[in-house]
Amino acid sequence: MSVALAPHARTYRRETEFFRATYYVAMREIRNLIRTPAAFIPSFFIPLFFFFVQSGSLQRLAERSGQVTDYKAFVLPVAILFSVSNEGAGFNMVTDIERGYFDKLMLCPANRLAVLIGTVGANFAGVLFRSLIVTAIALATGLHFATGIAGILPMVFLASLWGLVFAGIAMAVAIKTANAQAVQGSIVFLFPLLFLTTSFAPREAMTGWLKVAVGYNPITYILEGMRSFSAYGFDATRIAKGVLAVLIMAPITMGLSIAALRGRLK
Amino acid sequence: MQFWQSTGDLPKYFARAAARYDRIPGHMYAIEVEGLKKVFGNVEAVAGIDLIVSEGEMFGFLGPNGAGKSTTTKILTTLLRPTAGTARVAGFDIVTHPHEVRLSIGVALQEAGLDTLATGREMLVLLARLQGLRGGQPHKRAAAMLDLVGLSDAADRRLGTYSGGMRRRLDLAGALIHGPKLLFLDEPTTGLDPASRHAIWEEVARLNREEGITVFLTTQYLEEADRLAERVAIIDHGRIVALGSPTELKSEIAADILTLAVPEESMDVAKEALTRLPGLKEIQSDTKELTLFVTGGSSAIASAVRLLHEVDVTVGSVKLSSPTLDEVFLRATGSRLEGAEQQQAETDGKKRGRKEAS
Repeated sequence: MSVALAPHARTYRRETEFFRATYYVAMREIRNLIRTPAAFIPSFFIPLFFFFVQSGSLQRLAERSGQVTDYKAFVLPVAILFSVSNEGAGFNMVTDIERGYFDKLMLCPANRLAVLIGTVGANFAGVLFRSLIVTAIALATGLHFATGIAGILPMVFLASLWGLVFAGIAMAVAIKTANAQAVQGSIVFLFPLLFLTTSFAPREAMTGWLKVAVGYNPITYILEGMRSFSAYGFDATRIAKGVLAVLIMAPITMGLSIAALRGRLK
Repeated sequence: MQFWQSTGDLPKYFARAAARYDRIPGHMYAIEVEGLKKVFGNVEAVAGIDLIVSEGEMFGFLGPNGAGKSTTTKILTTLLRPTAGTARVAGFDIVTHPHEVRLSIGVALQEAGLDTLATGREMLVLLARLQGLRGGQPHKRAAAMLDLVGLSDAADRRLGTYSGGMRRRLDLAGALIHGPKLLFLDEPTTGLDPASRHAIWEEVARLNREEGITVFLTTQYLEEADRLAERVAIIDHGRIVALGSPTELKSEIAADILTLAVPEESMDVAKEALTRLPGLKEIQSDTKELTLFVTGGSSAIASAVRLLHEVDVTVGSVKLSSPTLDEVFLRATGSRLEGAEQQQAETDGKKRGRKEAS
């Protein structure tokens, strides 16, 4: 049967189309996230496992030392950082590239950055949701949140911003290589950095090279910023350092993604 | 001896092809390509091609795997930047105005490129929105396109459950969602069964005929190019080696193909006898058949049989056929298109008798 085609000439406003495209790409990512619970749900297990094992084994010891008053509140941000530091965005990108869907998106007239930002935005929403769930479960086990309920959202927001940094790296590798194993490799490279922080003990309790290395690791400052909400009580300096660390790193990793995209289209 | 070696005045052949690149002043072209090159490291994927496609034309881009077809398509659709040369698509330069190019074209690439977690309708609505359609238009267009490709019943099924043919049809619908005037189809029927392939052919032909859409069709199927395209360019090793309408290209061979089945033990005698055949341009043989390139068409049959009778050679079967694009491809490149015989056999329902020249 014949169906008359739409008139070719139409109004296309490039400026507003960028935001619309970003929104629609993000919504598509979120929809796919919801439709693959088998991929989404396991991402809760590692952080919760870490939280319960870590707090169960070290809580009494740490609190007796006097350097930590509530070890659960101390260790929760670490569990959340584990939760948000995942390569999901990179894997999704690899799948899209392999299936040719990425090219289809690149063929749309909207600014191609909309595809990147939309994907990252959806990843941000996903990690924000995951962080809230992990926090809610931790609260249900008796964790005392230092800044009260009002501090929860800013803490998970800061964590999710780190998730953006992480997603930027995973997507850069995905776009550059279109290889899931390479994406996984990028995580192997970055994961130790999560441990080279104050993840298990306060900085004051550290000595030697570890203390120095922890001081140079930006994730330390993000972790300490999050702990200002959960464990220490509101500390503007720590929070500002955490935000600054994200603001420095996010443009770098997102820049890598953009460079990878440009390289792919050369 | 290869056919093209005996008959081919290749420089003249290329000169005739090159002459067709001449532009007509004032004529509107959907695609204009000059000196287009693409180099990946040390590999020259596209080695400087010139091409023009008129508005409303169905243009076939034919070549074997790795010849540079898909790379050229990706450059023309702004998915890759050329290393050198210029190209204008729908009147816009692909490097300086890629946004305008993408607004003007619809593309169905070799990989169907579908989101398997989405339904057919959801994917088309998203593509329509990304093309800038607003309000209720994306849903209306999606419904119309699903109807167009006969997928209305499967519209709300996830694409992971679609067959290969359904995916290709949906991909075609996606390429048409915004009503482009120029459609790039990169091997749209590769991997499809003959029935699905014919369904796609009919739809593409109808879009070109009734909607006036210019179609740039990349294919490795000779029959696809022969049946659909008004003009065909044959690309090999990144260069266009032949260009013209299928009829023109085939007529340039200026011979009919006469195939005779003779006993193996009589092959040499038969070959010797047939050298006296009037109008013979070339003769090739294998263990069971003789393939003759002759002028004179059906009159050559009687002469050939008579010559063989004179030397007591029994003829098992006789087949007279017109040259196909396979012979054109052979002449232009010196080798047959890989899988050409299987394609033909698949379509005809029987194997062609001729085999690759030794």
